[in-house]
Amino acid sequence: MSVRRLICSLGFLVFSGLFLSNILGCSGQKGSSKPTITVWHWMTDREPAFKELAGWYEAKYGVKVNFDLYAPSDAYLQKVRAAAQGANLPDIFGILGEKRDFASFIKAGYILDLTPYMQENSNAWKDSFFSKALAVNEFNLGDSYGVKPGIYGAPIDIMTIQMVYNKSLFKQLGLNPNRPPQTFAEFLEIGKKIKEAKLQGLVSGWGEIWMIDCLANNYAFNIMGKDKVIATIKGEVPYTDPDWIKVLSLFKEMQESGILAYGLVTMVNKTAEQLFANERAVFAFNGSWCVNVYKGMNPRLDYAAFLPPKVSDKYPMAIWGGAGSSFMVSARSKNKEEAVKFLRWPTERDQQAYLAQATNNLPANKESLDQIASVLQSFAKAMDSATHPRIWGVSEFSPVIEALDKGIQSIIIGEKTPKQVAEQVQRIKERELAKKR
Amino acid sequence: MKSGLYYKAKKIIVNTLIHIFLLTVSATCIFPLLWMVSSSLKTQETIFKDISLIPKTFHFENYYFAWIEGGFGRNFLNSIFYTVAVVLGIIIISSMAAYAFSRFKFPGRNILFIMFMAAMMIPIPGAFVPLYILLNKLGLRNTALGYILCMINVGLSTSIFLLKTFFDKMPKELEDAARIDGCSKIGIWRHVALPLSKPVLAVVVVLNALIVWNEYVLALIIFDSKPLMPLQVALMTFQGEFVTKYPLLMAGLTITALPIIIVYILMQKYIVKGVTQGAVVG
Repeated sequence: MSVRRLICSLGFLVFSGLFLSNILGCSGQKGSSKPTITVWHWMTDREPAFKELAGWYEAKYGVKVNFDLYAPSDAYLQKVRAAAQGANLPDIFGILGEKRDFASFIKAGYILDLTPYMQENSNAWKDSFFSKALAVNEFNLGDSYGVKPGIYGAPIDIMTIQMVYNKSLFKQLGLNPNRPPQTFAEFLEIGKKIKEAKLQGLVSGWGEIWMIDCLANNYAFNIMGKDKVIATIKGEVPYTDPDWIKVLSLFKEMQESGILAYGLVTMVNKTAEQLFANERAVFAFNGSWCVNVYKGMNPRLDYAAFLPPKVSDKYPMAIWGGAGSSFMVSARSKNKEEAVKFLRWPTERDQQAYLAQATNNLPANKESLDQIASVLQSFAKAMDSATHPRIWGVSEFSPVIEALDKGIQSIIIGEKTPKQVAEQVQRIKERELAKKR
Repeated sequence: MKSGLYYKAKKIIVNTLIHIFLLTVSATCIFPLLWMVSSSLKTQETIFKDISLIPKTFHFENYYFAWIEGGFGRNFLNSIFYTVAVVLGIIIISSMAAYAFSRFKFPGRNILFIMFMAAMMIPIPGAFVPLYILLNKLGLRNTALGYILCMINVGLSTSIFLLKTFFDKMPKELEDAARIDGCSKIGIWRHVALPLSKPVLAVVVVLNALIVWNEYVLALIIFDSKPLMPLQVALMTFQGEFVTKYPLLMAGLTITALPIIIVYILMQKYIVKGVTQGAVVG
């Protein structure tokens, strides 16, 4: 037999083996008296911690829990949508995307209303969460979504978007490393020192414009209050209002003081994270997920989070925050009760503390805070100041948001004045309102 | 009158410029691969600090961790199996279909061919949900057979188009000779058309092998069982929403790129021939 023939035969044998094992070898589950809970998720960084929790749960209650990871998140989203249409959703799963996507799943009858479970034992489960963490999963009477009021998901972690500062660089600048700037004026003063020391100031993913929107909204809440911001979205207050021009002017002031890093308007968040982690920037505007990112890039980085320095004392400073990731129970699951029982378990105090320690994410359970790292605590403490467009009940037109964010970019690069941007945004707002009418 | 020296100098300058251009193009192609290999030997921390191509310390253990953490063993075999099965399926079906489109006259031939070509225009992600529901109804969801059939379908249009273009140009006299020798229609396809279309088949093999080898979204949607997943899905486990394990991802990428590079090297002769002989004309 020639060598070629021998190789071909071997190849054929291997291929046939694989063919038989793949095509014929079904992976059906073996019968068991206790149900198996299946959880679908997309969180690669939390997979080992979830598996650990599943092992503990099985040891304690004898119920097997399978955490199935499907990453990346956009493919996961498609899988969940397809599975819903094919009636193949697992017992527990997460929904990514806008709140209206979440609402469409509820309206189609795919998601179980958790309100009765949350209200058991005098709201014990409900009250264990940060109220704002629960808000993302809550639908209220009068919402534009047309969903029966209730709580349809349980958050397993939360996030806030704040400023962080490098303590070592603060010392280098002759500043107190335990006292971040409290007011906008102090913040701008530091900008001058940064300029003199030829360091980079504030870095952020402002090339991905939603982060500009986030900071602009923070200051809008601080300068004019929530009601006026909501009134603007409703079209009752124009963007040319002096308060909005003041918000836009802050970005001009930041640019002039030297607090903004070079190339900030086109910077993606990954670059910003790299610069801050490698101690090349004094400040960063980032979400609490950065704790995990910075740990990977530079475990010795000494930093802390703080609220964006306030401009006005009239209204409190608000930051974007709320539920990070949430899980929902399938309304069509055969194991609904077991699934709810399990979902409650990882949201309890000790399990939440374990998840926070293992994954560096903020716990959704407010009783777990004393068991987590100080830098995470500094992010979590600001949860009282958290808000999010998802819970405002109204949403701004996308072209208006885009015009505002791009306008801020033009202000930073000196292309337009705050007044010009405000006028342009207002024109687009009026156009969109006219279209709607 | 220009001297011989002038033409010699001109030739040297032109050749040098051409070679500089080609070297630059080669460098831009090779650099990402080198960066991938280099990063696969660094740590998560040094990947952002040490930008040199040769790491100060080599962390070969990344390959071990990538293999274990990603569960590459089974997924690697799955990818080989899916790629071989799909490419074989495409070669058999598309070569027969292309031969039929090229040589046989039957009612609705042109409309059918146009329909196949139109299928090339449909973006695959747009078909995910209908495909999922169809496979679910046929009981083929979460089976290797279901995935293989879908992937064969993905590669058919382009392959039929490439092969038909080739068969259209093939001299009919060769087939007449085979017919005189007693060959049936299937015999002509098997003994004349297929051997002659080797260069185009090489292009079809490489194109489709690349598509199947790199595919992960459809696999992720139709498979629920981890043991059925291909290699690329395992690779995605290193890429998080906010945190990416770059050294493991790069080590995983190096492992996944190797087989396809080997396929390309083995088929290089035919691919170049296929392209230069006008196999992809059209």
